[in-house]
Amino acid sequence: MIIESRELRLKHRIPVVKTEKFWKGLEGGRVYKTICKCGRSYYPPRADCICGNQTEWVEITGKGVVECFTVVYSMPSGYEWSKPYRIVVARFGDVRVMGWSEEDVFVGDEVSLYTAKDGSGIWKIWFRKG
Amino acid sequence: MKVGIVGVGCSKFGQRDVTIQELAFEAVSEALKDANLSQEDVELSVVGCVGTRGYELMPAVVVNEYCGFAGKGPLRVEAACATGSAAIYSAYSSIKAGIVDIAIAIGVEKMTEVDTATSAAIGGRAGNYLWEHHFYGTTFPAYYAMHATAHMARFGTTEKQMAMVAVKAHRNAMKNSKAHFQKEIVVEDVLNSRIIAYPLKLYDCSPISDGASAAILASEKMITEHGWDPIWIESIGFSSDTSNMTMREDFVGLKATKLAAEMAYKRAKIEDPLKSFDFATVHDCFTIAEIMAYEDLGFCRKGEGGKFIENGESDFGGKIPVNTFGGLKGKGHPLAATGIAMVYEVTKQLREEAGKLQVDLKHYKALTHNVGGTGHFCWVFIFGR
Ligand SMILES: [Zn+2]
Repeated sequence: MIIESRELRLKHRIPVVKTEKFWKGLEGGRVYKTICKCGRSYYPPRADCICGNQTEWVEITGKGVVECFTVVYSMPSGYEWSKPYRIVVARFGDVRVMGWSEEDVFVGDEVSLYTAKDGSGIWKIWFRKG
Repeated sequence: MKVGIVGVGCSKFGQRDVTIQELAFEAVSEALKDANLSQEDVELSVVGCVGTRGYELMPAVVVNEYCGFAGKGPLRVEAACATGSAAIYSAYSSIKAGIVDIAIAIGVEKMTEVDTATSAAIGGRAGNYLWEHHFYGTTFPAYYAMHATAHMARFGTTEKQMAMVAVKAHRNAMKNSKAHFQKEIVVEDVLNSRIIAYPLKLYDCSPISDGASAAILASEKMITEHGWDPIWIESIGFSSDTSNMTMREDFVGLKATKLAAEMAYKRAKIEDPLKSFDFATVHDCFTIAEIMAYEDLGFCRKGEGGKFIENGESDFGGKIPVNTFGGLKGKGHPLAATGIAMVYEVTKQLREEAGKLQVDLKHYKALTHNVGGTGHFCWVFIFGR
């Protein structure tokens, strides 16, 4: 015999105060990394360098190169609204950036990034060829 | 003061319609019987559980009570899919520090109490939720799939080679009564199965299994007193890596594996793993993971893992038989149970009690390699008898 547990719904309140420039940047078509005068670069961006200094915000521009990708067919809950999606990691200079691509990009392809809302209304990073 | 394994237990893996505590007790009672001990003899219990997929969110005390260890811990540990090894390490450390002489490490996971999409959403959080899963819907198969595309592009590794890992796993699992899968498959079955995360297909993935395992560890002093014939923990190596996959230097291997293996080999003075071990158990949560493990553990050069499986080097009679018990792929991968289940299988082999799966022993030495997440944690243990 199997019985059911009481339902527990989890939806969290996430503070992105220290990285607000990134989240606002997405809405304006800009993607930021952070750098520190000690020489470290961060993507995902963070306000605190591990050396103890505060980092500075720098926009990621230019061309990236695809290092790996996948196409997710078995979707997790929270993504029921999506058709199978392509996740890509591309290298832009000293950082690597994750994003989605609607084009069939492969390892070694040159890509550029842009921002747009996805089907659930969340602003995120996308890649296109060239 | 050396520390040895004196008793092991493991439940049958698969969809198991029992509660988490009942499942854990199956493994614990087998381990106690194996060591010829009762609960009173055990001074500390460590309960490894990733949790979240089961209805008990804080299961350690529930498991501890049911297994008869109330008052003896529990120390709960979590290291994603490497939780079992972290539990062993906690028990080992307590004995090594002289705090206790006999400790039990329990690993238990109920994976089938939630639906598959929920399970995928939880597994996809085994990295960095905020910067990866939140935006891009990364799943556990997706993380390994990205390593697969990088490995294929750099080294020409093929989907067929990956499929061969699954075929070997199923063939071995058929001879293991504890295994989730009890059916033989061929390469075409893998290649024709539905895509989960390109290029990984259903049969490239370990199944969603419930399971429990337990190991009883004892100090050398206690081992002498009891007259046990233990499996000795000869060396432990550990490492970890960034939570964000985008912060890694490359995607063709797991740095945590390389570093953990280096530490374990150095401490045990292992120069050539192929000449030192009779067999190995590696973390094959996905077929590509086993191929990368051959390389990162030093069984072959980087990029040659595909050829290693293709040439039968990891099969019985090869350079080093790998996952003779069916691996995570064939036996199942109930997260926290996995690392201790590896110890269970190694113990059976080193005692020459592995039946139809017995490997010919020359060195009486073997290793376990247990990865948490996508190289987020890694433990390499070397055992000897
Ligand atoms: Zn700094």
